[in-house]
Amino acid sequence: MKICTILKQVPDAEASIRTAGDRVDLAGVTFVMDGMDEYGVEEAIRLREAGHQAEIYTIALGPKRFEESIRTSLALGSDRAVHIETNDVLDVVTQARVIAEAVKKEGADLVFVGGKEADWDSSALGPALAEALGWPHLDWTTKLTLTGTVIEATHDTDTGTENVKISLPAVVTTQQGLNEPRYPTLPNIMKAKRKELRKATPADYGAPAALTTTVGEAIQVKTRLNKVFEGDAADTAKQLISALRNEAKVL
Amino acid sequence: MNFDFTPEQKEIQRLARQFAMEQVLPHAAEWDRAETFPVDTVKHAADLGLLNIGIPEEYGGLGLGVVEEVLIGEELGYACMGFDTIILASDLAVTPIKIAGSDEQKKRFFPPLLTGLGAFCLSEADSGSDASAMKTKAEFVGDDIVINGTKMWITNGGVCSMYVVLCRTAHAEGNKGTICVVVPAETPGVSHNKLHGKMGQRCSYTAEVIFENVRVPKANMLGGLGDGFKIALRTLDRTRITVASGSVGLLRRALDESVKYAKTRLAFGKPIAELQAIQFKLAEMKMSLETSRLQTYYAAWLVDNDRPHGQASAIAKCRSSEAAFAGAAEAIQIHGGYGYMNDFPVEKLLRDSKLNMIYEGTSEIQRIVVARSMLK
Amino acid sequence: MILLVPEHLAGKLRPSARELVTAARALTGLGDIHALLLGPGAAEAAAEMVAFGVNARHCAEAGYEPFTAEAWTTAVAGFAKELGAKAVLMPATRSGLSYGPRVAVRLGGALLEDVIEATSDGTSVTAKRFTYLSRVTETVRTAALPVVISVKVNVLVPAEPAGSAGSVAATELPVEVGRVEILSQAKASTGGVALDEANIVVTGGRGVGGPDGFTKHIEPLAACVGAAVGATRAVVDAGWRPYSDQVGQTGKSVAPNVYLAIGVSGAVQHLSGMNRSKLIVAVNKDKDAPIFKVADYSIIGDLNEVVPALIANLQG
Repeated sequence: MKICTILKQVPDAEASIRTAGDRVDLAGVTFVMDGMDEYGVEEAIRLREAGHQAEIYTIALGPKRFEESIRTSLALGSDRAVHIETNDVLDVVTQARVIAEAVKKEGADLVFVGGKEADWDSSALGPALAEALGWPHLDWTTKLTLTGTVIEATHDTDTGTENVKISLPAVVTTQQGLNEPRYPTLPNIMKAKRKELRKATPADYGAPAALTTTVGEAIQVKTRLNKVFEGDAADTAKQLISALRNEAKVL
Repeated sequence: MNFDFTPEQKEIQRLARQFAMEQVLPHAAEWDRAETFPVDTVKHAADLGLLNIGIPEEYGGLGLGVVEEVLIGEELGYACMGFDTIILASDLAVTPIKIAGSDEQKKRFFPPLLTGLGAFCLSEADSGSDASAMKTKAEFVGDDIVINGTKMWITNGGVCSMYVVLCRTAHAEGNKGTICVVVPAETPGVSHNKLHGKMGQRCSYTAEVIFENVRVPKANMLGGLGDGFKIALRTLDRTRITVASGSVGLLRRALDESVKYAKTRLAFGKPIAELQAIQFKLAEMKMSLETSRLQTYYAAWLVDNDRPHGQASAIAKCRSSEAAFAGAAEAIQIHGGYGYMNDFPVEKLLRDSKLNMIYEGTSEIQRIVVARSMLK
Repeated sequence: MILLVPEHLAGKLRPSARELVTAARALTGLGDIHALLLGPGAAEAAAEMVAFGVNARHCAEAGYEPFTAEAWTTAVAGFAKELGAKAVLMPATRSGLSYGPRVAVRLGGALLEDVIEATSDGTSVTAKRFTYLSRVTETVRTAALPVVISVKVNVLVPAEPAGSAGSVAATELPVEVGRVEILSQAKASTGGVALDEANIVVTGGRGVGGPDGFTKHIEPLAACVGAAVGATRAVVDAGWRPYSDQVGQTGKSVAPNVYLAIGVSGAVQHLSGMNRSKLIVAVNKDKDAPIFKVADYSIIGDLNEVVPALIANLQG
């Protein structure tokens, strides 16, 4: 069985996001593997540990700096990786097209994609990729078991949760709670050095043109009152209710 | 010249940082208050492969160098210098075996150290800097060595798998009579008393270790008769570099906490970070941090590239530990009254940092090492 | 043509449907507004759309309920193609975010996801959306029509009935039996006000201490002001509250009039789900908690004392 994990690198959540002119300036920002992708890598490894004979490989579409996170996925347990290197910012549909071609070439039975990604705040890659592959997809997945080629899983919906069944091949997007990602171990970090990290470009996969362009980025500014009430509990409670009633007029 | 880390080194640093921030930092204050030796966290670190990384590959280890240890040391030192000492002081047992052990000895002694802590026994109640005045005695009885004596200030004493013990013998006086012997922890006659009441690094288990007619095979002696002291000095030449790295981590922490505080604390209508007096303090800490770090990495690089490193490591250890102590004191000053309280992290930094100027060769000894290296 | 796919419940349009109309009306030059409603109750809901000048079509087949991405993708993409739609709009609910991208790929067009604003000049569409965990507003443009636009819920002003009445009619659509088999569903029932439709939200964080803290403090406070109860990731991870209560990057995104964060530290991932709230109130005993940076009104104190005082004050 072949399990593919899709990976991207995003700014660390603690990083302050700045703009230079009308674009976000990422100079000096620390990048990390998107936390949602970590669940995917971890789930793939767990499936293997649970007895499924699987080759696990990682695909990442992005600039050179993605290498560090790709190496982390190798250290976590992915067997090899394909880095489709590009400096272009591609919209998610175009990304899905490129990655779908790569997955078709490499072959896969199960593809893990991170849920809501922390850079473009997008949860579209999973569904778009599934469509491009012609496969079913399952999103916001919080629990998964694989028996043979059938997945039984639990996922979040708008109104609660659902238990579902899908046959492979399928795309699964992760949700927090799916698993607890492990730390890479030092021995595995050193073993990762010998694992294959193959380079490719979008041109190898059809080079579709981007469908959208970003024309501006601005830090979301909302000035807050930052008013702190002083006093004991009874005091501050009184002041707050008064402010909500009379100042903000929301109660 | 190349100041870049390899991808593996960056990964190791990332792992060490994540582990330190998630598993060590949140508990450091609580361990400090109760003098708790964090057994589970130490095991977790060992399970992740962060312990004794210098054991060569042919003996089941990772065969990594001092640069990698420094990477780990800085991150652990940032979170808690006490915890840093637990993990990195173990190298004081690995190093003598590495530099003076035979292949047969390495095959015997490295395996327990792959998962267990080591402890290095040199100091005694009456001998620290004057190491050759030690009294612990080893006698050759048949095919065995019998050890009697008490060692003091032993990091990991009582919680380790292996002791590396420096003893004098009747063979010769002073240094020329010393030997270095490996004593597995379970050997009958070994006992310990945990030392309570340390000023800092209180999660690190420090003990008085007593050897009472402790009998080990002669084959446990590293090197030859009279080699003990040499092995000890060559060991410390190397292992003091990780003390330096812990100091660098601690200083970085002191600086980060100070910057954070200075940006939010208001005085005279503005954040104190806008006051020149504070800016100068922060700049001073930063300058010490950068130069200490560079010297520490340089010393580590020298070891890993088989160059003479005694002078460089002494400079690194001395400068970094003194910079850390001064920086921690300055951090308290910047925090004002809050810096003096134990619900703020900076007073612990000062208490922790002081030991780094004392153990593994005091700052005074480091100065002697540096001077002698120039004058010989 | 612009095609809307509004959501409805028990034959009634959901509030987000009127937001879709607002969004569609701003897309000048793309043609008339049509709507497709799927599943049981679609006919009644479709009739409501007429007053907004929308030409609504409904297919009440049982196969569209419960929602499956594949069934809705086939229906919507097929209908959109038939219509020659230049834009397809749906609310950015979990379902919308699930089938919208599939429709975009199937139609060979672009996707503008989770937008807060969209305009058109007839040949291209420009939209605004949040990125970097809702810290940045991105303006993005596409000329690759048809474009699929998922519209962030609770942002746009709901449209008022206007213009000449549209038409309503049934339509036949094939129901694709998707490959995802639904075995069972569990509706999250914490009762009370729905989180994404609430005017006031009271969220409890780790500082609340446990599920008892929610019963003792958070729920009564919410009840006092008619608020929905929210939870942070830490609380959900600890098992004190269900996922459906979670506000944040991996939970719900809310923008109520008042958001009360009780015992919430204010991690970036949480803020991304509520930082558009019109008014933010924070109660936390840690003066360094990041939540205070985004709060309008703050109380630095023990919630176990402050919340009872708030309740007493509200009731007295």
